[in-house]
Amino acid sequence: MTESELMNVPYITRAKSSLNTHSVEVTGDFGDRPEPEIAEELSGVLKRHGYTLSVEKNAHIVELADFAYALPVSVVIILGFLLLQKAGLTSFITSSDVSYGAAFVIGLIASVSSCLAIVGGLVLSLSASSAKEGGTWRTQSLFHVGRIGGFFILGGLVGLLGNSLHLGLTANVVLGGIVALVMLILGINLLDVFHFTKRLQFTLPVGLSRHVMNGSKHDHYLAPALVGIGTFFLPCGFTQSMQLYALSTGSFIQGALTMTVFALGTFPVLALLSFGSLNIAHKPWKGIFFKTAGIIVVALALLNFSNALATAGIINPLFNF
Amino acid sequence: MKSVLVSVAISGILIGNAFWFVSARPNTDDTNVGVPTAVIIDGKQVIDISAKGGYSPRRVLAKAGVPTILRVSTRGTFDCSASLVIPKLSYQKFLQPSGTEDIIIAPEQAQGTLQGLCSMGMYNFQIIFQ
Repeated sequence: MTESELMNVPYITRAKSSLNTHSVEVTGDFGDRPEPEIAEELSGVLKRHGYTLSVEKNAHIVELADFAYALPVSVVIILGFLLLQKAGLTSFITSSDVSYGAAFVIGLIASVSSCLAIVGGLVLSLSASSAKEGGTWRTQSLFHVGRIGGFFILGGLVGLLGNSLHLGLTANVVLGGIVALVMLILGINLLDVFHFTKRLQFTLPVGLSRHVMNGSKHDHYLAPALVGIGTFFLPCGFTQSMQLYALSTGSFIQGALTMTVFALGTFPVLALLSFGSLNIAHKPWKGIFFKTAGIIVVALALLNFSNALATAGIINPLFNF
Repeated sequence: MKSVLVSVAISGILIGNAFWFVSARPNTDDTNVGVPTAVIIDGKQVIDISAKGGYSPRRVLAKAGVPTILRVSTRGTFDCSASLVIPKLSYQKFLQPSGTEDIIIAPEQAQGTLQGLCSMGMYNFQIIFQ
């Protein structure tokens, strides 16, 4: 409605409004007139619909200052993550039998281990993007329900069929590459410095990110839940080890419970990432948070890329934890 | 502006440290001093690697062109290192959490540097045939 009204103004060639951000973007030939004057004139057009226009504060200059905090904070977090990998957390796992308690502990360790780079990175990028786009707790909850429910059902199937569902080498590499790409795009989006990725986001992972991020708005219950289920197949060593165990149990209920308990073990860290993002999205320093998250996500995406290439034997491994 | 410069400087130093810390540094010391060498038993070369939270030893010297067995042992290994990939051999297997796995390397494959890594690429090891 606002769009068509604005399009009727002779010098405007394009108008795009967003209810979400309460903004309208107009393109056209404005000559040399100052922005506030244009806004006032256009407000006159929209007045009868109850809208007024004001020029957005020169947001980009303000936002760049956020990097002064976001950059060191994100680097410290990444460094902390690397240190954690070096700390040898896996030596806490001493038993070779998997009781439900052990499965939970393995889940806890997995959630701060190398799996954090891929599963955690994906959760952070999706939930921060979702929070930024105005997503609610429902989108985030559906993801976690999907993840835990998916682990129950798929874990049960693995136990029942006696066949593990992990992917082959090529599929693993391809999937790792795709996840890295999605993370890279979402991460750059979070940084909000380049405007071309905004368009990229619409074209590239349309099915995935767009639906997931706008899940609550369009009442897509399915998409966030499906992504949650999909995390079962992400290349994470721990998930695959647990599947191997679930397989050896040979029963639906034991396999299902093992995988569920494992997923519950990973829940605290993942929940912190997703609900934390949602919470911070309403804080005054959210700009810094989104930038920090963006830098971390981009760094993890690059790490995943290099790992996927190394696994494919294309390049030598750049890292050894 | 000043704070931006300070933050960039701090970040630069931290990133530099991080890279030094985790970089694989495959060929920085060409001498291979202190690198374990594979043993030959009954004409067969056996290379032992243990997999748990990474691979150990990370580098092994071996004789080229000899029938070789790569013996990977796991002990309560649930992390990525159980998911072993050797790209050159097109080998991928999910190792049991505890046990040993013998991987046969034919003499013609026992050449150059053989890279093994976990399926996520976080951990790796090298066998240098010479």
